[in-house]
Amino acid sequence: MKLSTLVINISAAVTITAASSNVYAAGDTVPVKAMADALHLVLDSDRTIYTRKIVNRLVKKEKVIKASEHFDDDKALVLPAQMFRFGSELVQKRAEKIPDVNFSYSLQSLWPINKQNAPKTKAEKDGLKFVADNKGKNYYTEETLGGTKYFTAVYADTGVAPVCVSCHNKHKDTPKNDFKIGDVMGGVVIRIPIDG
Amino acid sequence: MPHRGISSFMYLLLLICGVIASASATEDSIFIKFETENLINGRKLWLDNCKGCHAYGTAGAPVPMVSGEWKHRVLKDRTVLYDHAINGFFGPDDTMMPERGGNERLTDKQVKLAVDYMVSLAKHYQNKQIK
Repeated sequence: MKLSTLVINISAAVTITAASSNVYAAGDTVPVKAMADALHLVLDSDRTIYTRKIVNRLVKKEKVIKASEHFDDDKALVLPAQMFRFGSELVQKRAEKIPDVNFSYSLQSLWPINKQNAPKTKAEKDGLKFVADNKGKNYYTEETLGGTKYFTAVYADTGVAPVCVSCHNKHKDTPKNDFKIGDVMGGVVIRIPIDG
Repeated sequence: MPHRGISSFMYLLLLICGVIASASATEDSIFIKFETENLINGRKLWLDNCKGCHAYGTAGAPVPMVSGEWKHRVLKDRTVLYDHAINGFFGPDDTMMPERGGNERLTDKQVKLAVDYMVSLAKHYQNKQIK
């Protein structure tokens, strides 16, 4: 699969609904679900590498620096979830200037510490509930917002380190305080506009 | 083949999801119930504390139902596995197994029972593959 082809054809991606092969030729379009899955694969891999090679290695293993929600005040590394969110905000800002690259992603939760990260649309709410109730499965749907039709995918976000779980459980603003490692704590929502 | 890495990853993901998807209806048939008392207790501890990551490969946790991931682990001295599970462990790719699976209330004995169950589960799937 050529990434350039994949990116260029986002807006036309839904014209092909089923791919018989994972090999694409020049000029082909990519199914929107494959596009969302590919985006998630990149996002999740980058976050995983940050968690392993930066946070695990420097904070847990070598103990040379801390990671903190209040990274500025504490002169610390940003948390993996914060890095992910900052990336999302930057993508949103940069994508506004690139008409052909029109998508958004966010980290949301049914139990957010920051209420801004709660689901807002029905698709987001349904998707977050589905991935929490059906571990190992993703959620895909279509929704219309402001007159535009979107393909919306939701992927589970799992608590993988003691600090993720303990911070959420102990935070003064948390609506849920019994998370365990391995629990689905939220989800990544990827939204791509599609033709009506 | 420029995308072999991704393909392998997706294959593993699909394999795990396939195992789990089929497990959702019949969890008991996937997370085998062994008959000895220690393994019965170990299974309960494993389901409560380890399944969340080890059943899905979350954060690089090796999945006992995927025999290739446990082939070298079941050959290790069991005390090494106990030590990694009790005290935590950093893998070669900076993956991290948290101490006691992140549940500080678990005793050493409970962690060992959960490890014993996971090793038995891995051996079960290895033997199944060989047959």
